[in-house]
This record gives sequence, structure tokens and C-alpha cells, in this order.
Amino acid sequence: MSAMFEPVLTRNVGNPDALTLAGYKKSGGYEGLAKAFKMEPAAVVDEVKKSGLRGRGGAGFPAGMKWSFIGKAKPRYLVCNADESEPGTFKDRLLMELDPHQLIEGCAICCWAVEANTCYIYIRGEYTKAATILERAIRDAYDGGILGDNAMGSGFKLDMVVHRGAGAYICGEETGMLESLEGKRGQPRVKPPFPAVVGAFGKPTVVNNVETLCNVPHILVRGADWFKGIGTDERNTGPKLYAISGHVNRPGTYEFPLGVSFRDLLDKAGGMYQGGTLKAFIPGGASAPILPASQIDLKMDFDSVAKAGSMLGSAAVIVMDETTCLVRSVARLANFFNHESCGQCTPCREGTNWMELLLHRLEDGEGSEGDGKLLLSICGHIGGQSLCPLGDAAIGPVQSLVKGFWPEIEQHIRDKRCPFPHRRYFAQGA
Amino acid sequence: MSGLPAAAKAELDEVRKRYPTSEAALLPALHIAQRFWDGWLPDEAITAVAAELDLAPSTVYGVVTFYDLYHQKPVGKHRIRVCTNLPCQLRGCEEIMETLHRELKVQEDEVTPDGRCSFIHFECLGSCDTAPMMMINDDYHENLTPSRTVQIVRGLK
Amino acid sequence: MPKVTINDRTVEVEPGTNLIDAGAKIGVQIPHYCYHPRLSVVGQCRMCLVEIWDNGKKMPKPQAACSSAVMKDGWVVRTDTPEVHEAQRGMMEFFLINHPLDCPICDQAGECGLQDYSFKHGVAFSRFRFEDKRTYPGRERIPLGPNVILNMNRCIQCTRCVRFTQEVSKTAELGFFNRGARAEIGTFPGKPLDNHLSTCVVDICPVGALTSTRFRFAERVFYLDKKPSLCTGCEVGCNITVEHRRGKIKRYKPRFNPEVNDYWMCDFGRASFERYQQVPRLNTIRARVEGTNGKTGTTGFSSMGWKETLDLVARKLRARSSDGTVAFLGSGFLTVEEAYLFAKLADAVGSPHRSVPVDRGPAWTIPNLKGGITGTEAAPNRRGAELAGLTPGTPGPSGTLLDHDALLLGDGASQCSVLVVCDSDFGKAAWDPAVVERLRKAQFLVVFGWADSPLAKVADVALPVPTHVEKSGTFVNVENRLQRFEAACPPPGQDRPLVDVLGDLLGRFEPGWPQRTPAAVFDRLAAEIPAFAGITWETLPATGAQLQIPGAHVLGDTVSTEERE
Repeated sequence: MSAMFEPVLTRNVGNPDALTLAGYKKSGGYEGLAKAFKMEPAAVVDEVKKSGLRGRGGAGFPAGMKWSFIGKAKPRYLVCNADESEPGTFKDRLLMELDPHQLIEGCAICCWAVEANTCYIYIRGEYTKAATILERAIRDAYDGGILGDNAMGSGFKLDMVVHRGAGAYICGEETGMLESLEGKRGQPRVKPPFPAVVGAFGKPTVVNNVETLCNVPHILVRGADWFKGIGTDERNTGPKLYAISGHVNRPGTYEFPLGVSFRDLLDKAGGMYQGGTLKAFIPGGASAPILPASQIDLKMDFDSVAKAGSMLGSAAVIVMDETTCLVRSVARLANFFNHESCGQCTPCREGTNWMELLLHRLEDGEGSEGDGKLLLSICGHIGGQSLCPLGDAAIGPVQSLVKGFWPEIEQHIRDKRCPFPHRRYFAQGA
Repeated sequence: MSGLPAAAKAELDEVRKRYPTSEAALLPALHIAQRFWDGWLPDEAITAVAAELDLAPSTVYGVVTFYDLYHQKPVGKHRIRVCTNLPCQLRGCEEIMETLHRELKVQEDEVTPDGRCSFIHFECLGSCDTAPMMMINDDYHENLTPSRTVQIVRGLK
Repeated sequence: MPKVTINDRTVEVEPGTNLIDAGAKIGVQIPHYCYHPRLSVVGQCRMCLVEIWDNGKKMPKPQAACSSAVMKDGWVVRTDTPEVHEAQRGMMEFFLINHPLDCPICDQAGECGLQDYSFKHGVAFSRFRFEDKRTYPGRERIPLGPNVILNMNRCIQCTRCVRFTQEVSKTAELGFFNRGARAEIGTFPGKPLDNHLSTCVVDICPVGALTSTRFRFAERVFYLDKKPSLCTGCEVGCNITVEHRRGKIKRYKPRFNPEVNDYWMCDFGRASFERYQQVPRLNTIRARVEGTNGKTGTTGFSSMGWKETLDLVARKLRARSSDGTVAFLGSGFLTVEEAYLFAKLADAVGSPHRSVPVDRGPAWTIPNLKGGITGTEAAPNRRGAELAGLTPGTPGPSGTLLDHDALLLGDGASQCSVLVVCDSDFGKAAWDPAVVERLRKAQFLVVFGWADSPLAKVADVALPVPTHVEKSGTFVNVENRLQRFEAACPPPGQDRPLVDVLGDLLGRFEPGWPQRTPAAVFDRLAAEIPAFAGITWETLPATGAQLQIPGAHVLGDTVSTEERE
């Protein structure tokens, strides 16, 4: 299947011409937008709904459905979530750096569909190169009449602004992002109200991930049925970028139909690094539970991965070989979540901190038998009880470590040290 | 210096037009101010931005301390951030940190005596396919080895 | 209005009422830290998690009661399920793992949200055994401003204080800094927490992180006796709780009254009790008499009882009421009842010379739901005293009116055969030597009061009476709201309640003054004075009553009278 698959989202990768407006247009660019402008906004929403496109940012919420929830008030906003910060995820950077107009077109179509006259692309502060490229492309799009007071002659006013973040993972959570866009600390809001009703600047707002929006022009041009034809089933449709990293020979971003098997993905990435043996992998970024090597034939779509006890998330696949200490790896992720917790809600602020301290202790061989139960109990007190999904994200890897890889923890406890050789540069709680 | 430098103010005035509220210009304003204050935000920079956007200094300070890219103490002319999250850890980022420590002869988050460099470990920088990697000011340096790291750092003017 | 069922009890609420407020209506307490009815809802502390069934369908996760608003019928809420209890246990554990547990040296002990909820919802052991507690070195006793001290180690990051300065005082001195487990509150360098409401952040801090500079280490709170009262700092009439130990006042705290001060009071008012401790107290009767020690031509002080002293005063008043001028100088600190009796005394001796001097105070606004009330007079009851009769009458054809201007600024007292001042601390003028000298020119000077002020010291007769925390009565505030307060502690020494003393004295002039209690006096004056018509002491609502006075400030709709912690 993969051999036959012709890239959709990455079709312009390796074609530097696509960075220019003319070059992008030459490969069929902005035809989707032109088509959208000829349709009623509601018809565009319906087409995207029909395609079954699910959000590529992590939660997998149907995009068309999200658009249809938009509140009545005006003005409305589209906020493109380009705050790609989930460890292991680097697909959106590629889309923005190598094919910026594809994103601009996707955003423009979405704006038309939900009748939003302004789109903010919230890009993480570290992505300066991508921000520069996007800004240049947006300028070109203004100059080329794609954006502005009369977008493509449609009479529709459409402005697009690149808003740089400043280094905070939590701003990838949609309401944290809206707070940050408004110039505040990126602390997620209580929901309801949802952004569709009360979003940016108190107005109805759609928040969509970069990759999600990049799919939209293709759906418009080639139709929902074509889109549905790609993927595993009705609920898992379309092309998907898989970002694979860790112990593989050719880490990178690979486009497949949604639902490629992990084995195929691993093959594409050149197999295990230096001929190592697969020990475990994370299928969907730092917040996804770790899966054992026995899941090598897992279909990498939303529902199959969920059934396997993990989540597809952003489809950031982190591969670990037999030399990897999983306790140490999870401790590093716990450190990440502790560092990135915004600090407003109790379970996340205190719980992620405690988990990190505890995992470092386990890694150092200072744990005891009861610590597994304690870790799961802490997870239980965070999960479902934090204000935003970061709490739930933080417990995924920890729970999977305790439940799925207990013997490895036990070995640390028994040996009173980490059985794996490795360097230890970082201090605890850094 | 009190208040924003004129050039920074002009830049900020341009940015403010993009948002329906003046508070929304805070993140860009702090990015701009940080450039004018040698890469970090002393109290006077925070006060200046707060006055410019009509915000309480405590509110601005809350924002400054929330985000990793704003600095509250002096940094090197070359600010080195090493990605140390899991994918980079799997591919040896500790070696890069050690190399920087040896080469620059300062602790993490300290500035070299000549003011040239400072280095810190950082969360995922979205370049896991080229791990290990580091970011020097705005540029990514990828697929690092200790020797390449030394070479890059020595090349910094 | 939608109905909601909480723990099997159903209540009808305004659409948009959150579950904490809805529960409170039917006696279901839902524990919470970050929620405060006057601050924005942030859902941060997660202590108020409950389970909700929407038309029989259980919501997948426990929901924060503070941010769950009842919009429609069909919600069934439980706060007592094993899941909710487990969530509360977990949350208490999270709060305590990094809390110093220094209750024995913490000022908050006894009124601490962490202590209370630990007993109610927590467990008695710790699983945080091997890790170090998070501390904030050097941030254990940071003065945030002149009135508030922060101990960051105790903070639970509920951000009530931050939101207070942003949303209520609108001064935004406090901010929420850093992220995650390092998140903390503080001020920006050079911008201390210094606004007239600043100590309110101590009241709303659920733990011992913020303590009052004034009250810090003054007393363990569980030794305090607490009584509802009113602040006398200005004419706003903030409702307060007087907290004292064996008669020594330790602090004033605001007491909820949505019609007046809501949940707040100003720092000036909070400090006003200190006057009772700083100013020397008059607590024995002092009468200057001729011929002490058997020598004629000398004067000295005699120790007299109440009866002979009042006889003496009555004799002086009666003797001079025919051949000389008798003036009555009141005070904005008198209760309505006292002022009424004082005015009746003036009536009895036929004196038009009665007035209420009052100082200007700091013009500070106490916010409430209607916007707020600003007080500019540094006394609580100038209006009430005047309504009760202490307004100047018309002097005879030849005479000039001896009002407070004539007495305090002019030479009025020299025309007085008797001058009665009530009370000895009516304002700054009572402490001004020049004024005291002027008043002393009266041939016979009678001073009632709690303070042994310079004026009391030169009086011919000085009569000790209680401070306002030692008496009961009513005040009328700047918006003409009549409010009642009760004595918090008994007066010391020879002090007798002023209504009792004045009633006793009045009884020497006319029969029919057996009523010596504030309640009896109030009911009598209410029957007589139109502004108080229809109000009785017993039926006066806890939030006070709006007096119907032509031309007076018109208030908006009444607001909810339910208090939340």
C-alpha cells in the first residue's frame, strides 16, 4: 500500500519553488481556496465533515464538526495551532518551512467556512525559521491578492497574522493558546465555555492544528470521497504525517495513509539504529503510553492505537532499543511535564512534581516495592481531575511504565541501581 | 534608559495594529524589548513594556516568568539551547551538554567571562529527526557530535 | 428558574448559579479554596470536584462545582460518592506534600482551610516520605507592603489574592509568577502591595501564606472571642467582627453585608481599634470640687459615686438653665440612642445649643456590588446623631447660636454657664490645646467619654463611659442605612453605659425615663422621629434598614444576602 501511495501533504517537499507564490500555484496551489470561494461556507464545512478529517494535533476531534460548532457572534477568529511542542513531534515544522502556502490556503479555506476574517497562526517561539518563512509567504499572499480586503476577488476580507509564542508547551492546549494570544500567561481556561463560543478575545474561535488545516485544500480540490478512500476505515481517513525518532537509522517525517503499520513505518525509517533490538515505542508523542515491542504490527490509526492502550496523539513515534532504560526515559518525560505544568491547578502542579521526584528515586535504585502502587495512585489523583488535559497527558507514560514494564522497575529496586549504562548530566528537578 | 527605545516603540506600534487589544501585543513587545536589552529583560524593560501597553508591571512580570524564551538575567551573546528531551536523550544529548560545559568552562545558565556564550538545556525543540541538536540564538545546529559541537562553538564570534 | 438536585435535595436557582452557591442554599457545603463569590472563577484548586448526572447520564469526569453552572433542569449532583471522597483525599494530599505543616507557629492555625479540610477530607498519614518538600528560601517572611507579610512556603497557589488586587481593589500589585511547581505569588520590585484594602488579601487567603502585619503573633485565633459590630473609622459603617481576648481587642475583620461593605473593609478601619489601646482610658468618675481636704478656697478632685455626680451635674444644669447659657456639644461617635437622650437633655433645659462636630477622614471607597460606598467623615454616626435631635435649635432673639464652630473655633464657651461635651474624643479638636483652652472657658464643663483626653482632664466633671465595642446601639451611615451593633465585651472600671447614664440624668428633669437600654430607647425614638418610623430594635434586619429621608441617596436593587466563605 505504502509503495503505491502518492504523498499529499508532503508533495512539495524537495521542491523549493513551492516557497514562492508562483511556484505553489504551479503545482495546483490555491485551487482549493478558489473552489471554496465559489461554495457556500456551510457547504465547505459539510465537505470537510464528510471527509472524516480528524484533528492531527493530538485529540483527533473531527475537524468539520468543530467548525460547525462555531458561535453566532462576530467577529470570529481562526487560530492555527503551530505550537508544536510535544516531544517527538516535528511534522508541522516541516509543513511550515517547506510548504507555507499550503498552510495559508488551508487557513484561508477554514476562515471562509466559519466566516472568520482574521487568522492568527500561533507558532512556538523557537520556530524562528518557520515563522520567517511563513511571514514571507503571507506577505506574498497579500501581494498576490490571496489575502487582504478582497481575498481572491471574493469580496471576503481575510487577514493572517503570525503570532510567536515564547516557550511554553501548555500553549499548545487550545485555551492556553488563546490566553497566550491575548498576551497573558498561557494558563488554560475552564471549559465550558468552549472556544467555539467564547474563544480569542471573547469571540467565537476555531483552533486547528497545522497538519489538519494542510489537509483541507486537498479535500476541497479532490473531494471528500477521495479523502475517505485513504486510511483504515470511516473513522480514520486521509493521509498522515508520522514523525519517527529515537533509535532508528533514518529518523524523519514520513507520509502514509492513516493506519500504516508500525512495522512499515520502522522499515521506512531504515530499521533499528545500529542493528539494535526494538524494546518499546511511544506511538503518539510524550503523552502517549509506551507500547512494548510485541505491538510491532499495530495499525497506526486513532482507534487501533487507542485499542492497544495508547494514543495516536500527534503521531510522533519515539523508538527505543534494548539499551534504553525505560525508568530513566519516563523520568525524563515526567521532568518535562513538571517543567511545563502551568502551575495553576493543584493535581498537575503538585502531582507532576511528585512523580518526577519519585521516578528519579526509582531510577537511582532507591525505590521500594510500594512505589509502583504509589505512582499509580498519584496518577489516579491527577487523571481526570486536572483543569486541562496536561494532567492526563503526564500520567500516560508513567502508568504504562508501571503496568507494562514492572520487571524493569523491580530490577532497579533489587539491584539498588540502574542496570543500564548511561551518562547522567542532569540534576533532579532541573 | 527609561521607557522603550524609539526604534522598539516604532516596531511595537506596527505590531499592535494586528490585535484587537493592546494586551495581546505583550508577547511580541517582550520579544522586541528583549532584543533591545541585550537578550534579557531587566526590571526597567518590564516597566517600560508595562507602561507602553498600560499593564501592571506585576502582570507583565507574571508573563515574563511564564515563558522559557524570556530571560530574567543576563545571557551570552550566543545563547545556546540544547534539546534534552527524550528523543535527543536517546541519541546522546548528555554528551553535548558535557562538551559545552568542558568547552565553555562555565556552569549551565552562566555566561562566559567574555560575555560570548551561555548554554542551557531545553525542552523538545522539534528537531528530533536530527538529534542530538542545539539552537544557537535563532539557528538550529543538528546531528551533533561532540567534535562538531566544539567546532561550532569555537566558530562563534 | 432551573432546579438542581444535590445529595437528594432539590433547589431552584437563578440560571448560571454555580454548584457551590446552589449547594450552600440547601446546606450542602462543597469544599473549595480558589473560589470566592466576588472573584472570577478559575477552577484551579480542584477541591470542589463533584459528580454530575445530566438527565441520568453521568458526566465522564468529576466536575469542578465552582465552574459548573446550573443552566437547565435535569442535573443531579452528588458530593458524597466514593469517587468524590477519593478525589478530595488526593487533592488534600497534593496540598500538603509541599506544605510546611508548621501549624504550631503559624498564625492561621485555628482558622486555616488546610487544617479544616484535612480533618474533614484528608488522611492522617503521608506517603511523601523520601522526597524533600519544596521551599522558597528567603521567601518565608516577605513584607508585600505595609500591612501584609507573605510566607511563600505555605501558599497553595489559589491566586485569590492576585485576583483580588486585579478585580476588586483594581491595583494589580500582586502577580502570579513562574510556572508549575515553582509558581508563586509576589509583587514587582518597587510596586508594593499598598492600597487601602490591602489587608483583605489576608482575609481571603485560605492558608497562612498571607498574614497581617498588625495581627501577626498578636493572639492564637482560637483564644479570641468574636462579636459582630460596626467599624467607627468613617461613615461607611463597615460591618465587622470584633475579636478580643478578655476585653483586649486584637483585630477587626470585615463581616459580610452586601448592602454596605460586602466582604471588605479598609486598612484604616482595621487599625481604628488601636486608638482604644493607645489613648489613656477614663475609667473613674472625676469631679472637681471646692474645699477638698477641708480647706476653703482650694479645688481638688473628689471621689464621688455616680449618684452624687449626676446629682451635681443636674444641680448645675438646673441652676443655670434659668440664668445662663447651657450648650451641648455632641459627637459623631454617639449611637443614635445616646444622641437622642443627649438631645432630650438639651430639650429638658431648653437649650438650642447642640451640634455634632465631625472630622474629615480619608475618602476611601469600599467596593460592593452596587459600585461602592465612599466615606469622607471620620466618625460613624454624624447623620444618626443629627436625626436623633442633635441639630441646632433657634436661639432666643438676643442670643447667638453656640454650635460647634462657635465653640471650637470661636469664643462661644465663655458665654456658657454649663457646657456638656459628649464624648471626650469627639475628634481631633478634643486633643488640640487651643480648643481645650477655649472650651474650658465655660463656667462648668461636663465631659462624658471613654478617653482621658486633655478635654476630660480639664473638665469639672468627667464621667467614664464605654467605648463602642463595649456598648450596643445603632449608627446611620453615609447612605442613611441604619445598622445595629452589640457590645463585644464589658466595659472596665466604673464605666456605665451612656444610655443608662443619660437616662438616669434625664430622669432628674422629667419623669418617664425608666428605659435605660438601647433597645428601649431606640423603640421610643423610632415612635417619635419620622425617619425611623416603623423600625423596631428587634426587627431591624442584620443588613440594616434604609431610612426614608427626602433627598437622600437612592440605592439600586437589593442583592443576595447569602454569604460564602
